[in-house]
Amino acid sequence: MARIGVFLCHCGSNIAGAVNIPEVAEAARRLPQVVHVEDNKFTCSDPGQAAIQQAITEHQLNRVVIGACSPRMHEATFRRTVTGAGLNPYLLEIANLREHCSWVHPDQVEEATAKAIDLVRKAVARVAWQEPLTPKHVGITRRALVIGGGIAGIQASLDIADAGYEVILVEREPSIGGHMAQLDKTFPTLDCSACILTPKMTMVGQHANIKLMSYSEVEDVSGYIGNFRVKIKNKSRYIDMSKCTSCSECVKVCPVELNSEFDENLGKRKATYIPFPQAIPNKYTIDKRGYPPCRVACPAGVNAQGYIALISQGKFKEALEVLRRTMPFAGVCGRVCTHPCEQDCERGQVDQPIAIRTLKRFMADYELKTGREKAAPVEMTKEEKVAIAGSGPAGLACAYDLVRQGYPVTVFESAPEVGGLLRYGIPEYRLPKEVLNNEINYIQELGVEIKTNTPVKNLTEIFDEGYKAIFLGTGAGVSQKMGIPGENIPGVLHSLDFLRQVNFGVKVSLGSKVAVIGGGNAAVDAARIAQRLGAKEINVVYRRSRAEMPAIPSEIEEMEREGIKIQFLAAPVKVLSKDNRVIGIQCIRMELGEPDASGRRRPVPIKGSEFTIDVDNVIMAVGQGVDKATLPEDLDYTNWGTLCVDPVTLQTNIDGVFAGGDVVSDPADVIAAITAGKEAAISMDRYLRGIDMEEGRPETVKRVEEVSKAGVISKARQSMPTLGVGKRKGFDEVELGFDEKTAVEEAKRCLNCAICSECRECEKVCEPEAIDHEMQDEISEEDVGAIVVATGAGPLDHTQFSIYGGGVHPDVVSTLQIERMMNAAGPTGGEVVRPSNGAHPKEVVFISCVGSRDERTGTGYCNKVCCMVMAKQAIMLKEHAPDTHSYIIYVDARGPGGKIFEDFLTRAEKEGTTYMRGQIDSVAKQDGRLLISGQDFLSNETFNIPADLVVLATGLMPNEDAARLFQTLHISYDAKNFLLQAHPKLRPVETAMDGIFIAGCAVAPTDVPESVTQGGAAAEYVLKLFSQESIEAEPMTSIVDIARCTGCLLCQQVCPFQAVEAETLRDGRTVASINESLCKGCGICVAACRPGAIKLRGFSDQQILAEVMAL
Amino acid sequence: MKSEYQPKVIGFLCNWCSYAGADMAGTSRMRYPQNIRIIRVPCSGRVDPLFVVKCFQRGADGVLVSGCHPGDCHYTEGNYHTRRRFALLREFLDYLGIAKERMRVEWVSASEGQKFADLLSDFTAELAGLGPRSKILDG
Repeated sequence: MARIGVFLCHCGSNIAGAVNIPEVAEAARRLPQVVHVEDNKFTCSDPGQAAIQQAITEHQLNRVVIGACSPRMHEATFRRTVTGAGLNPYLLEIANLREHCSWVHPDQVEEATAKAIDLVRKAVARVAWQEPLTPKHVGITRRALVIGGGIAGIQASLDIADAGYEVILVEREPSIGGHMAQLDKTFPTLDCSACILTPKMTMVGQHANIKLMSYSEVEDVSGYIGNFRVKIKNKSRYIDMSKCTSCSECVKVCPVELNSEFDENLGKRKATYIPFPQAIPNKYTIDKRGYPPCRVACPAGVNAQGYIALISQGKFKEALEVLRRTMPFAGVCGRVCTHPCEQDCERGQVDQPIAIRTLKRFMADYELKTGREKAAPVEMTKEEKVAIAGSGPAGLACAYDLVRQGYPVTVFESAPEVGGLLRYGIPEYRLPKEVLNNEINYIQELGVEIKTNTPVKNLTEIFDEGYKAIFLGTGAGVSQKMGIPGENIPGVLHSLDFLRQVNFGVKVSLGSKVAVIGGGNAAVDAARIAQRLGAKEINVVYRRSRAEMPAIPSEIEEMEREGIKIQFLAAPVKVLSKDNRVIGIQCIRMELGEPDASGRRRPVPIKGSEFTIDVDNVIMAVGQGVDKATLPEDLDYTNWGTLCVDPVTLQTNIDGVFAGGDVVSDPADVIAAITAGKEAAISMDRYLRGIDMEEGRPETVKRVEEVSKAGVISKARQSMPTLGVGKRKGFDEVELGFDEKTAVEEAKRCLNCAICSECRECEKVCEPEAIDHEMQDEISEEDVGAIVVATGAGPLDHTQFSIYGGGVHPDVVSTLQIERMMNAAGPTGGEVVRPSNGAHPKEVVFISCVGSRDERTGTGYCNKVCCMVMAKQAIMLKEHAPDTHSYIIYVDARGPGGKIFEDFLTRAEKEGTTYMRGQIDSVAKQDGRLLISGQDFLSNETFNIPADLVVLATGLMPNEDAARLFQTLHISYDAKNFLLQAHPKLRPVETAMDGIFIAGCAVAPTDVPESVTQGGAAAEYVLKLFSQESIEAEPMTSIVDIARCTGCLLCQQVCPFQAVEAETLRDGRTVASINESLCKGCGICVAACRPGAIKLRGFSDQQILAEVMAL
Repeated sequence: MKSEYQPKVIGFLCNWCSYAGADMAGTSRMRYPQNIRIIRVPCSGRVDPLFVVKCFQRGADGVLVSGCHPGDCHYTEGNYHTRRRFALLREFLDYLGIAKERMRVEWVSASEGQKFADLLSDFTAELAGLGPRSKILDG
């Protein structure tokens, strides 16, 4: 039988003002099992608590209900109270009569009293079912984690470490220091910020008890007070910190320059950098953001950003080295590539894409012009010989990749000359032989043996000669026929034969009128060659429209400039002849119907639209196919007559035989063939080493997510100089390429999307060999007993406040930008200047409360630090240049923080700063200066102040991704992502999560002294925890009634903490068993348990239902 | 004595977010209709759908289940279970002869005192509009 005592608190008038306490007491007396009721002015006071203890003894109470404030406020207090009287602390229930009743229904005494009676009755019903519980005692890992290396985190770390405990300090930037490191001076003492901060930073770096993990982020947190397990990602710096000597040689050669975040975008930094000279750790970091879009778009993965970055620095030879790390065809691809990279180029979103293809060509042209040193042969480190059939782009790319890995490679070519389609399929005015020869020579110099006039007929023979793997890159060398009448009449030529004859110097005589059938590059090439051979009237007949034409657009354009006509939407029906001589071609008009398998709209003939073109020759360029007769036997073919290969490994049906290029894909472009050759090389290397050929393929590449285009000034792409149409008589190259100056100009347009371009120039100069471009992020796990969160906040981006000219006028800056300019180590060497022209500003207007105290544009509350910051900067401006006059336009001006703070504001005013209370209407440009117009609230007059510089004091807000961390930690935060304290007044550095403490700007805007105070306070709570022998853990955990458990283990599936284990009983039954030390008491399993076998102690079904029944 | 119909509302609030949010409404002295009686649970995932049915059986006109915002659960994923369970129960309410609108599942964080107060005003008004429930079950 329960003996329940009910104690009602007046809380002064807080409760009694709205609730009729005597009436509630009267009702309580009538409740079953209630044996004692009393009320008290302040139950939480000493006399109030003493009264409870006395009543417990006097009336032998074994349950207590207290009607008072929220249990979140005083539950712990009253548990101690009842424990003092010998009662189990959990035999207590609190009815929330204040927060949930009197305070929210202050003028409805009748209703509030009725509600209070309900709440007490509910509590009485519940407590009757409450069992005594005993808290568990768990050990403490005496090691702390501090997240955030700003001044608050630094202070917390040092205080804990100085007390003798180990600290892990995690900072996501490359250096600790936070925003304080950016400040020039600190108010109100005008101490040099670096002078007071850097000694503390150094102490952190050197402290034996502090493990500094910079450039790292907390990924996951599990566990509970005293026993947290933390997963930390150490982001790759691509520089080995243990080897880096901070010599800065890498910075000198790095071609990528970008805005410095530390200098608030006023200065520049390189892709390899330390944020500021006094950074801790003082080690360099390479900033990589993934793969640039050009590199992702290139099927062969050519790192265009890398060579473009070096071209922009005039390092043309080094740039070519970057390309040659991937493939050897700068001159070839620089001319004939279909350049998918340019379609994806981010610069195209600003104005036009970078001329990537032409820049690639430039490198080859430059080498040809200046001469190339003979390439050093690769040392053959592998024994397995490799055979390659076909010396086209696929075969050569495969040979190139394999020889560089040390494989002895032999290329077998059936033709008398090397190059495959590159040599006989592309006319010389597009790809001069000299260029092709240079690149083939380079491959041969590396050690690739090429045997011409040697077709591969028999694979067994090749294997018998000792070759261990074979690549077939023999192309698709047969012209397809159209199957129209008259196709076999002499005078009808097929483009491949035609191009081959011309390229091999065989004389081909054409009549003066020529028709070319087809719309691909082969058709365009054939037409333009025909013109160069003397044909006068040339018609290209293509069955679709211009939009579908597959040839390179610039080539089509040049062809038309040369006077060649295109008959779109027309197809040949038959070749007309007389005396076995071509006299014309009959065509029919087409229209576009539904899209076909290729996605292009299918052309449909229009009945009765036949027409005739008089011609002397017809050149068919309608496609190529694989010639099975030239290929070895026993290979599998697809329905389309191409070789059948595994799509990932490119292995054919014969073990060790691989194939790629046109022989597999049917005619594609050069870059596709190169890609196939490269992929096959990967497979062949793995095949020869006996490694899984498929693992990790196709490779997933991380494309850089967002490319900043802020501040990019539009500049048109350099155009390609071409040979005048009148001069195009022979086979001279039409496109002339860039000269050095043009190439550098064009390369400078590159946005460096991925930041680091991976040009690897830094590797060459790093003496300690600290650079590792292949470095990976590392994940480590640490056990800690307490966590301090000091992740800080940052100012709102001033450029978003266009209403005050932010982002519109360059001379509208932020207070942090002023700090950086004032700093002697800053981007302007300590001079405050107008960003627009570098001139000294004489009139400066500060605008306060930008994005603070203004819900519409930022936060609704005061930013706390801005008044002092503006006063400081006004004083310092005067000190830097006495002729500067500052205006501070304020809403309210206060120096919160005591006497010297307020004095500081007075000093600013005394030293000549004009303070004006008012509101800004507009910031406009006028005569090269800015005109600030607004209302003066004190004089009630409008003002117009001409100024040279406008400074916006913007509100502070936590970083956008802070919420993700807070969720991981399970700590609460508000709508602006500021952290919530356990109690805003009495528990300012604690959170609702035991063992997690908070400090600094992550909680609310704070100045330096406050951040230091809070950091120290958080450390004190950590130390208090560490000083205990063990900690009490809540006993409210779940327990399984094995008699009712059916062993469905649904509870195991829903438990977020892996606290449920399956247990086999002696009778063979499987039941759930809950590990108390892992159970957090959420009760998710209880609600999921179908037979009702799980009970959550303290929140049992009986207790909750008793509450429901009481209402 | 007021003749006006006063709906009876029972709220299951999780300890970490919504109960604290209700406390916040109190400390901020916001006002909302007195109709709600709050039952504290560790997590909204603790709320057995049968509790809600029981409330209706015992004569409640409306039931509120409130927890942390999805993604913010103190126990990581308790409120995801809540969301699923009550989506299902909602479908059953009509079958039980109870208008779906009489049950609400809401996410209120510890800092959203105003949201809690607004929610209560709105819910109470809606229930008042629905009028007394015809009690076809035991009452």
